[in-house]
Amino acid sequence: MMLIHCPYCEEKRPEIEFAYAGEAHIHRPVKDADDMTDEEWSHFMFLRDNKRGDHAERWWHANGCNMFFNAVRNTVTDKFLVTYKMGELPPKASASNAKLPAAKKTGGAK
Amino acid sequence: MSAFRKPGRGAVNTAVSVNFTFDGKKYTGVKGDTLASALIANGVHLMGRSFKYHRPRGPVGAGSEEPNALVVVDRGTGRESVNLRATSVEIFDGMVARSQNSFPNLKFDIGAFNNTFSLFFPAGFYNKTFMWPKSFWDKVYEPFIRNMAGLGPAPTAVDPDSYASSYGHCEVLIVGGGPAGIAAALQAAKSGERVILVDERVKIGGSLIDAPNCEIDGKPAADWLAAAVKTLGKAANVTVMNRTTAIGYYHDNFVALNQRLTDHIANPKDGAPREETHRIRAGKVILAQGAIERPLVFNGNDVPGVMLAGAGQTFLNRYGVAVGHEVAVFTSHDSAYQAAFDLADANIRIPVIIDVRDDIRADLRAEAERRGIDIAAGQVVSKTSGKLRITGLEIYDPQSGAKRTVKCDALLMSGGWTPSLHLWSHSKGGIKWDADMAAYVPDVANENAVCAGACNGDFGIAAALTGGNKAAGGRKSYSVTERDFGTGVTLDSLPNYIKDTKQKAFVDFQNDVTEKDIKLAVREGFKSIEHVKRYTTNGMATDQGKTSNLNALQIASKAVDKPVEKVGLTTFRPPYTPTTFAALIGHCEGKLFDVKRVTPIDPWARERGAVYEPVGNWMRARYFPQEGEDMHAAVRRECVATRESLGIFDASTLGKIEVVGPDAAKFMNLIYSNPWSSLKVGGCRYGLMLNEAGFIYDDGVVGRMAEDRFHVTTTTGGAPRVFRHMEDYLQTEFTDLDVWLTSATEQWSVIALNGPNARKLIEPFVDGIDLSPESFGHMQVRTGKICGVETRLFRVSFSGELGFEINVPSHFGRAVWETLFEAGQPYDITPYGTETMHVLRAEKGFIIVGQDTDGTVTPHDAGLSWAVSKKKKDFVGRRSLKRSDLVAQGRKQLVGLLPEDDSVLLEEGAQIVADPNQALPMTMLGHVTSSYYSDALGRPIAMALVADGFNLNDQTLYVPMPGKTHAVKVTGTAFYDPKGERLNVV
Amino acid sequence: MLFNQAIEIDESLNDDVMRLSLSGERVRYSLRLKPADVAAAKKSSGLKLPAKIGGTSIAAGQTILCLGPQEWLIVALPKSREKLAGTMAKLSADYICSAVEVSHRNLQFTVTGPGAARALNAACPLDLSVDAFPVGKGTRTIFEGAPIVLWRTAEHEFTVEVWRSFAPYLRDFLAKTAKDRHMA
Repeated sequence: MMLIHCPYCEEKRPEIEFAYAGEAHIHRPVKDADDMTDEEWSHFMFLRDNKRGDHAERWWHANGCNMFFNAVRNTVTDKFLVTYKMGELPPKASASNAKLPAAKKTGGAK
Repeated sequence: MSAFRKPGRGAVNTAVSVNFTFDGKKYTGVKGDTLASALIANGVHLMGRSFKYHRPRGPVGAGSEEPNALVVVDRGTGRESVNLRATSVEIFDGMVARSQNSFPNLKFDIGAFNNTFSLFFPAGFYNKTFMWPKSFWDKVYEPFIRNMAGLGPAPTAVDPDSYASSYGHCEVLIVGGGPAGIAAALQAAKSGERVILVDERVKIGGSLIDAPNCEIDGKPAADWLAAAVKTLGKAANVTVMNRTTAIGYYHDNFVALNQRLTDHIANPKDGAPREETHRIRAGKVILAQGAIERPLVFNGNDVPGVMLAGAGQTFLNRYGVAVGHEVAVFTSHDSAYQAAFDLADANIRIPVIIDVRDDIRADLRAEAERRGIDIAAGQVVSKTSGKLRITGLEIYDPQSGAKRTVKCDALLMSGGWTPSLHLWSHSKGGIKWDADMAAYVPDVANENAVCAGACNGDFGIAAALTGGNKAAGGRKSYSVTERDFGTGVTLDSLPNYIKDTKQKAFVDFQNDVTEKDIKLAVREGFKSIEHVKRYTTNGMATDQGKTSNLNALQIASKAVDKPVEKVGLTTFRPPYTPTTFAALIGHCEGKLFDVKRVTPIDPWARERGAVYEPVGNWMRARYFPQEGEDMHAAVRRECVATRESLGIFDASTLGKIEVVGPDAAKFMNLIYSNPWSSLKVGGCRYGLMLNEAGFIYDDGVVGRMAEDRFHVTTTTGGAPRVFRHMEDYLQTEFTDLDVWLTSATEQWSVIALNGPNARKLIEPFVDGIDLSPESFGHMQVRTGKICGVETRLFRVSFSGELGFEINVPSHFGRAVWETLFEAGQPYDITPYGTETMHVLRAEKGFIIVGQDTDGTVTPHDAGLSWAVSKKKKDFVGRRSLKRSDLVAQGRKQLVGLLPEDDSVLLEEGAQIVADPNQALPMTMLGHVTSSYYSDALGRPIAMALVADGFNLNDQTLYVPMPGKTHAVKVTGTAFYDPKGERLNVV
Repeated sequence: MLFNQAIEIDESLNDDVMRLSLSGERVRYSLRLKPADVAAAKKSSGLKLPAKIGGTSIAAGQTILCLGPQEWLIVALPKSREKLAGTMAKLSADYICSAVEVSHRNLQFTVTGPGAARALNAACPLDLSVDAFPVGKGTRTIFEGAPIVLWRTAEHEFTVEVWRSFAPYLRDFLAKTAKDRHMA
């Protein structure tokens, strides 16, 4: 069972307090949704990167502060590189987290 | 005292006898014995039969690595523990133990005919032989394999013991209580931080007990150990846990410990926990698990009496037991000499040390000479004699070709040592090949962990103590007088004049894998060690190859002609040793298996003999049978009573979420498919919730309590996921809204009253609410008081009758229920359960999300297009509803079915076809989702998802069921009172 | 009307090592505010709302826990019912906020004694040593199958709030640990 640093509680808490909530930084189209083809819509709706390596994803501190937040976790080592609040972009590459994925351009916070 | 007991030796108490039976025969051991040491003291080495060939076997090791001596300890019904290692089982007075995998008895075993035909049981035998015909699998092959290959028989009775589990935390966790672990604990103790030291054996000490022939800081090892145990015992911050195995090492220094509490006690208190699983989160983990000795792979190396040199030494020094009177030694490593010398010093005759090496260290030669031990250098054992116990061996000199035989009753072997990397590897710590040691050793850590002592490749007491101290941050150097642990060589194959095919040189004793099996696997194309493992089953037995993996790797590496480090190592997986299932479950058994939620009104229902059904974690009353009634009779009575007069139903389990804030209506508009802005305060609306894919996700009635406050209800089972769904969108998509969600499911008890007399019943009890139909219409909500208690009173109906859902604060729920039930007697008020609720709603064609929908049903498919706003610019699921396949013709749609034979109740889940006479496989149009007998209609009714169902109205379809195919007519789903007139009872 | 929490505690399992008791009636509110309003709302309401998640303010008759960002659970004795209702109504009038009464949603237990932390750790994964979980810390967490709110009122005294239908599970779990301790 992992320890996950909750960016709201500002402490590491046991994994069983959390729930995984899928890939992060996926823009939910609203205004232009009607003009999108089914093919385009399917990219938002169904298609995910399923990345090997550093993966930006969402977690929910369900049995804690009840907040959704973002994290970068390496899917090979299963280690968290960083967690950050919803609405924030992944912190820029620094010495300690040199391999963070590039931030996707995103409209929504999700 | 038996002939093999060496009084004055060992950490056992020879003054206390312990009586036990093995395979029905009575034996006597002493306090402190394991089953293996006690049997060996009685001259018994034969303790089991092997897995595939049923060969007679005795212990190879003296600890938890033991592959051969698997036994059953029988403590009565449900308490038969199987596949226990005799080398780890502590005996107690009255213990009943049995060998396993033998029939009719250990000395004469029918299955041993496999051994005679072992030429026909090569690697992959099962895969190759039991392939076809397919029909033979269930009837012939599998029963055969199970019979022949089974390990201990699993008990069939319920385990009556209690088990425990807990979480624990410490700054330093030390696994292994040998010299390295103890030195680490002594050092770590000084910090004042929490230290846990675990050891799988009865007491800590490790090699200081097994091989005590050394001095530490000027003191005999035993004295030093006693002082260390005392120091650790006194340190308040140190917890020493004996009989505790670290079984798995998980993320972020989370280590599972299995502590055995009562297995060694003759008469444990009934109800005392047998084992406890500790889930420890450690700041730092120090692994001091030691090393496991490797057998030599030679012809006849599995005869009882052949064992590891270190095991022979342990039996002598820890248990005071001689493994034989004439004990030969066969080695490729210096360390076996220590064993030989210890045994010789205990007056056990060592006829010969056979060493595969030509050059023997001078000090070892001299010491052997001093003890009169013959050394056969550069020679090997080419075969052994004896079936149930070794009686002698043949020494072969490959250079001269000379052969000679030596009599012995035990043979100690050593092929060197394998550092125990099990937990280190669980933690994904890196490993590297050490060519000198011919073993893998720890490399880069993946967690805050460090290895110390032999498991780090640092052999000898001094290295262990210094390494342990250093691992805990110390810089102490211990002064130790000991024999140099020495070095060894590894040979991938020992020379022999006997043809390969005539040899039986075992690598994996428990799974009967021989050297030639591994070579055969490689010849047949299995190059990866993971494939060789699975094909030969090497290392796949209950010991997970603790003694065999490295030997198999060496043999495979030679066979594929690649260096060992290129061949790789098979994966170590938890648990380190076999672990009782119940220990993994811990407390969570019986009523703690899972949470069973009940409502405040539940005790009332229980007193009336309600029959229950689980809904999510809730236990809900399903029906209230009266004397002699089955479910159908009870439900029919409950339905009739409700439609004709008055039914009372506990709806407290409905999920409730309070949505509050100035943007509450905006949020509702986004999260539900219907419009909410137009809903006035005091109004209710059926809410339909979709997921982003456009499928029905949940539904429920929502009341607007104030401009900025909605009382949302969800399905009983859906409450947790609906809450999550709402929070997710609120926190991550609709972030600019000022609105908050509060779960209020358990704040309210909900009493549903349905039936024409519902209003009459509550009228006298309600304060502050005008109940007249003109003022309080259908789908309205009011606040006021009932029975003097605050209420949110909903006028809603899930039955089609005049209905109220009375919300009162939970802890008043039962009292209000009882008051209304009492007052309802003149109306023959009838309590009903979920089954009747289902029938009543089905008669009205109301859906149950998850029963009539399955996650692929759109509002249109369910006939709920009216609940989808055409005007709203956005709501969850809106865009997906326009996807081409969601608007396509021919989708499965929810329709009613009326069986032509009105005595037939369709099976829920039954398939539906257009033509029952079509060729197989038939085209299935859909399935029955709900089916009940309806008293109100005097006939059975059903709902079904049917392809293009809306266009099949009035057509006849067919439902094949066991025994008969039934014709059904397709209808709409509003079977009863389609105009809803019954809601308007005055 | 009869106030009935409908749960019994087997006193025979209580001893000096660990004592489980059920608290009586409490008034509870879940309060949410916008970040910008917290300071002013604290001042005008007089509520001692702890600022940090995990913080509590424990006073005679009233405990306030900060469970999430701008989320507080207020637990008070019944005598403050009217006053608290008034405070909540005023807050709701003056600020953009959410005040929801959840008095009957929860049951409250206290777990006391030198074995309290160990008993809770049978199912709660948090480090409950005084260093890691000091007096005055409170949080929402998990107790095996039951979500709980847990706070420490003294070295050997914890309060646990749990949704009422989970209460028997919590009680039975702690009883099992007590029974194991008595048997071992």
